[in-house]
Formats: sequence, structure tokens, C-alpha cells
Amino acid sequence: MTVTLQDLRLADPRLSRFEPMRRIICFDDFDRGYCGWTQLVGNYEHTLDSMTPSYAAHTHPQLATVSHWDAGTHGGVDGTYALKIATRPKRGIRSTAIKRLTFRQAGPIRLEFYFTFKPEATELRLSETDVRSVGFLYDLQTGHEQDGLRVMPHIRFLNAEDGRHIQRWQYKDETTPLRAIGTEGKTATHDHLAPFGWKDIPGGEQKLCYNEIPTKINWHYMRFDFDLAAMRMIEMQCNDRRYDLAGIPSIVIPAMRNLWCMLNLVFFAEAETDKRVFLYIDSVCLSGEF
Amino acid sequence: MLRESHSAIIARNERWQGEATTEPFEAGWASEAVFFLRALAAEGPTGEGRAHVQISPDGIRWVDEGTSAAVPDAAEGIAVLRVAHFGSWLRLRVTLPAGATLTPIVTLALKA
Repeated sequence: MTVTLQDLRLADPRLSRFEPMRRIICFDDFDRGYCGWTQLVGNYEHTLDSMTPSYAAHTHPQLATVSHWDAGTHGGVDGTYALKIATRPKRGIRSTAIKRLTFRQAGPIRLEFYFTFKPEATELRLSETDVRSVGFLYDLQTGHEQDGLRVMPHIRFLNAEDGRHIQRWQYKDETTPLRAIGTEGKTATHDHLAPFGWKDIPGGEQKLCYNEIPTKINWHYMRFDFDLAAMRMIEMQCNDRRYDLAGIPSIVIPAMRNLWCMLNLVFFAEAETDKRVFLYIDSVCLSGEF
Repeated sequence: MLRESHSAIIARNERWQGEATTEPFEAGWASEAVFFLRALAAEGPTGEGRAHVQISPDGIRWVDEGTSAAVPDAAEGIAVLRVAHFGSWLRLRVTLPAGATLTPIVTLALKA
């Protein structure tokens, strides 16, 4: 009997819930700690006052037990802890968590993770329209011998807007103009998550299991395939639904002088009401075909 | 296994007057924590203010844990508050007298 790489992975309970490409770049199980996920701080020079306010509002990610006032600790998919991205309690505000890598092979990569989201359980009602969205993005830049582009594929699940429960996947291919930071000509910023320019992914409606009170959560599977050679999206899958992303554009801007081969992963959440919203990530598997 | 250790920046470059609190921070994995409250800027009688550690059963309702310290009276001053046996959530509550404005950066140093 020949044992294949897939057999070995299926025999490992930590990996059998994922479908990694050939090489696992990182496997972040938050029962082992933060695994390199941290706060996305805005750029600044000489003074913190130069930071874009929407970045200054980001909070620090937490290792959470998903605990609630009425039923105690919920826990993760297979352990106690999950990464928690929490917004402040203000309508329209967002928060993020980031992991910063670089790539060594410009080819296909696959991001897989388990996620769930809820508003802070401050009311005895379902509150299903208090989370505006949750999502993820890559912040990528080509190698300096490639095309000289910074490419940022953005995907979000628009859960609710203006009190309506929308439940639709969207992408974004627009950002704000670059703004120079400070006086030394070395730092600039743009607000790629600014709340404009989100567009519907064709056929992107999806009814996710939300459960029936604000303290009951169910975990969802997500897979996102991207080609670092062509700098194009390929496909994504959430639970039982697959989405062809071959025609979906990313944000593309000229390369920056100090970001070559950048491979940053970001998760984010946006609040729809003046209530904190929480995005929980149980585990993350990033793999590549090399 | 090495002990998990993490420094979280739970407030940065805000302008605090009167009473202010940091956002809730979940850290049930940690058995000890140190709050470092550093003044990036201090205007008025900030040194008459107090910083209090707060704990919570659910991240929503808060009670003073009992540990407190004087707020720094000048820029680059650092107040230190050490706690253990704090449950799952932590935050800092700061009270400042009239006329005082504190621009803080708060580092929460956690260890399993």
C-alpha cells in the first residue's frame, strides 16, 4: 500500500478539516498562541497624529474562549481558543488583524480558515443585523523583477446594511489616493478598507447558519485560491458553496519601494450599529503549490 | 512548551479627560498581567488622577479589581499595575481631575 501526502493529512485531525496545496506555508492553530497575528497599526512619521483615523481605531486581536454571559465558554472547533477581532462600539467602524509574510514562489496559494461572527451580546435579542461585514484580504507586492505592482484582493461577507440582513459576498477594486506621511518621503498610506466601492460577486448570496440567540455560534469553513504569478483570484468556497473568481479584480496600485514579495494576510470586521462586533477565527492554513 | 507571552497595545494616542476606559481585552489564557500606562503627553494636573484595573464576568459588566496607581504627571511617565487571578477579561479605568488631559499608550504585558 502506498501512502500518499493526502492520506497523511487526512490521518491528522488538525489538518483533515483542510485541503492544503502541496506545501503548508503556515498552520495557525490558536490553541498554540497568536501564531504571528497582530494589530494592524497605521503608518506614521515623527508623530502618531499623522496616522489615518480609521487605522488608529483598530484594536489589538485577542485569544478568546468565545465566552458569553448566559452560557459560559463556547470554545473553538477543536480546542479552547480562537483569534478574536473586535471593533469598537461605533457604527461604521472596523477592526483588523494581520500576519506579515513574504513569498518565495510566485504561484498558486490557498488560504483556508474557520470563522464565525457575532455582535456583543448586550441585548436579549438576535441582533443579526448588527454586524455589517466580516472579511479578509491579501496585501501583496510583486518581486522587484516582476511587474512592479501592489495587489490587494479584498473579499467580504456583507451581512447587513441599513437594518437589512443581506448576506452576500462582495469584492473591492478601489482604494483612496495615496497620502504622503511625514516629511522624509519614505512613508505613504491609503485606506484600502475605506467603506466605498464594494461590488457584488455574481451569485454571491449565501445564507450562513447564524443560530437563534446572540450567544450561539456556528463555525464556517472558508477557502480562497489566488495565483501569485498572474496576481489573479481563482476561486473561493464557503461551506457548501463555490464561487468562480476568475473575472474578479483586485485593488491594483503601483509598487512601493520597500514592499517587494510582500504576502500579508488580514482579517477584518465592520460594525453596523453602535455595538462591538466580533470576528472569530479558529485556525488558519496557508498553503502553496510548490 | 515555552510559556505564551504577549504584549497588547490596548490604547494609543487617545485624548483622555474625566473618566476613560480601555476597550475590553480577553486574556483568560494568561495567569499574570502588567499594565504599563505611559504618557505620550500630559496637560494639567494628570498626576492627581488614578488608574484602576477592572475585571469582568462577561466582557460587558465591569468591577474594580482593587489594583490602582497614580496617573503619570508628565510626558514619558509610566504607571505600572500588576495583576493575577483576573478571570477572562481585563481593562483599565482612568479618572482625571478637571483640567487634565492625558494622551496615553497602554501596553498590556501578558504571560501564561
